[in-house]
Amino acid sequence: MEFKLEAHRIVSISLGKIYNSRVQRGGIKLHKNLLVSLVLRSARQVYLSDPCPGLYLAGPAGIPAPPPQQLGEPAAGPPAGWGEPPPPAAGASWADTEPQPEGSAVSEAPRVGDAVPEATVTGVGVVPQGGAADAAKAAWSRVEGPRQAAAGEAEGPAGGWGVFPLGSRASRRPCGCPLGGEDSSGTPAATPRAACCCAPRPAEDEPPAPPAVCPRKRGAAGVGGGPTSFPAPGSTPLKKPRRNLEQPPSGGEDDDTEEMDTGNVANLISIFGSSFSGLLRKSPGGGREEEEGEKSGPEAAEPGQICCDKPVLRDMNPWSTAIVAF
Amino acid sequence: EHGGRGGGGEAGSDSHPFPSCCPLPADIISTVEFNHTGELLATGDKGGRVVIFQREPESKNAPHSQGEYDVYSTFQSHEPEFDYLKSLEIEEKINKIKWLPQQNAAHSLLSTNDKTIKLWKITERDKRPEGYNLKDEEGKLKDLSTVTSLQVPVLKPMDLMVEVSPRRIFANGHTYHINSISVNSDCETYMSADDLRINLWHLAITDRSFNIVDIKPANMEDLTEVITASEFHPHHCNLFVYSSSKGSLRLCDMRAAALCDKHSKLFEEPEDPSNRSFFSEIISSVSDVKFSHSGRYMLTRDYLTVKVWDLNMEARPIETYQVHDYLRSKLCSLYENDCIFDKFECAWNGSDSVIMTGAYNNFFRMFDRNTKRDVTLEASRESSKPRAVLKPRRVCVGGKRRRDDISVDSLDFTKKILHTAWHPAENIIAIAATNNLYIFQDKVNSEMH
Repeated sequence: MEFKLEAHRIVSISLGKIYNSRVQRGGIKLHKNLLVSLVLRSARQVYLSDPCPGLYLAGPAGIPAPPPQQLGEPAAGPPAGWGEPPPPAAGASWADTEPQPEGSAVSEAPRVGDAVPEATVTGVGVVPQGGAADAAKAAWSRVEGPRQAAAGEAEGPAGGWGVFPLGSRASRRPCGCPLGGEDSSGTPAATPRAACCCAPRPAEDEPPAPPAVCPRKRGAAGVGGGPTSFPAPGSTPLKKPRRNLEQPPSGGEDDDTEEMDTGNVANLISIFGSSFSGLLRKSPGGGREEEEGEKSGPEAAEPGQICCDKPVLRDMNPWSTAIVAF
Repeated sequence: EHGGRGGGGEAGSDSHPFPSCCPLPADIISTVEFNHTGELLATGDKGGRVVIFQREPESKNAPHSQGEYDVYSTFQSHEPEFDYLKSLEIEEKINKIKWLPQQNAAHSLLSTNDKTIKLWKITERDKRPEGYNLKDEEGKLKDLSTVTSLQVPVLKPMDLMVEVSPRRIFANGHTYHINSISVNSDCETYMSADDLRINLWHLAITDRSFNIVDIKPANMEDLTEVITASEFHPHHCNLFVYSSSKGSLRLCDMRAAALCDKHSKLFEEPEDPSNRSFFSEIISSVSDVKFSHSGRYMLTRDYLTVKVWDLNMEARPIETYQVHDYLRSKLCSLYENDCIFDKFECAWNGSDSVIMTGAYNNFFRMFDRNTKRDVTLEASRESSKPRAVLKPRRVCVGGKRRRDDISVDSLDFTKKILHTAWHPAENIIAIAATNNLYIFQDKVNSEMH
């Protein structure tokens, strides 16, 4: 379970970085945000990957290569053959590269003064194992599920992701369970998903490696071409309304003065924010989620601005506290 | 020998009004660059200032002070700007300085922040005319009735004055943040690169530039890599290289097409699957690329290594040197505190036999390509008394610990050496440690070999 906690922590940290980037002097740094988004995607894939026997559809070409064989385990299934989920060891191989356990991560944290609140790290370490963690996991994926189902067509993980996380959600294969769709504004429906029979994670079971082989081969000029077998960017209807809601559409090439197109970064934040507030409105796991407060609280106090007063935050569901903060 | 840049900015003194543990952000050095002869050394800082040091000529009177660098000129290159239309603040931090080859008595350099490149001309004035007929010494008009004879004004020596003036301002060429500039060997053009595009400018023309590389995807959601650095080939004016956040290098030939989106050569090394982690992409991002003086090789820096590439071999680098591999197990912490995003630069010595790069704890590393030996040195006031010999440092990673070793957990990650420069001909190096500039000289081996 530790690697999942690690992944979850990395997701939180990454979201915080992206959020903070909005208020940084000099504007959003595209390079750093791109790198953070790649980490975010990797961590989410690890976090959401779960053995879900036999319910994965065949993936498109360009599925990332199998994960590293650090533990000498057999490969987690070739990209094309998606029948079997990867063995848990594949995910666990990630853990070896990170400080284990959480306690050691604290001690190894470099001295950087105020840069990193130690509370964040220690908070995670306090999260109880078992039920609460599973609830967190389930809560996370409940958020993911409806968006993913509604996103419709698949976008390749290789090209479709980029900075924008929606691509990653879209790229996960639905597990075939009847999941509700999003309403037109893209926010998840208020009613939580009934747990689908295979556990509510329609996550792709691909290994935690982001597409390593495919994009590497693609030249820089080919980035614009997008993934090999996927629909043109225009056919992602759910993204467009969201973009228009949150940000004036970037004129792109038409303008004489081109806007620095980082709308996808802002959207990332708003999507995470609004979808988590969907969880806020209806939080069936409220009781269990309070145990997450240990790690949510400090995360809400991460550097960066919190969009409402702290006393208000404290009164809210602790799990949502972290989300609202983002 | 070393110099502090705070306060008066004198290279020879230790004066610094603030304790070194908390430097003013504006004083943090953001770029260091020798000119083509090594006589001048320019530094830029976060506050938008440029300080130029000049090497004192060797003097018979004071043989020990030969070759020291003293402040030559200081000027404000860039100011913070606010783009009200886009609600964007533009930082004044100097990202890069590049010297133009000297073509007359004046020196010229290009300095750039995130958005605007400026050409500065540096001239000396050491004479002034005296003996005007109509004006007196202060420049006031004389009472004509007191003028009884005519004289010819003559040039008299005066205290040296260094004048700096902006000759060109190359603005509005970049939507994204400029990360590098490079002057072409033709001495007429230069290029500037941001995250997604590279523009070619003529040094005399400011109202337009040519876009020669554009990797912006039609849909930004498809973005997977950005340009991180770029440089012209030192001899072939049609060739340049740019590096990407994915760790690849692309060599482009401007003769092949107007838009160099198709590379002539693609240099990338297959990833080692056993090293895969959440942070593999970040640590493979190339933070700096430098052609060797010979033009035959390229040097790249990523988070943990420096690599030497042969232009004739695209499949993998010919040499890889570990800068601080002990950080590989700490990547998560370094991600948390943002250190993993630090962009270290790298440098060749004049004969391309030694390469240098910075690290943490004010350490910097040198690798001798011929002997395969490497050394870790520290730039700090304590260890750098004038004319002291730098003692090699060692980071111990477990196992036997020697007396002066530093353990990995004791490293100070706020003390990072991102910017270093090597004199083009001699064994003189400039090391920027936060807000301090250190200049070290190898007097024993002052000749390159």
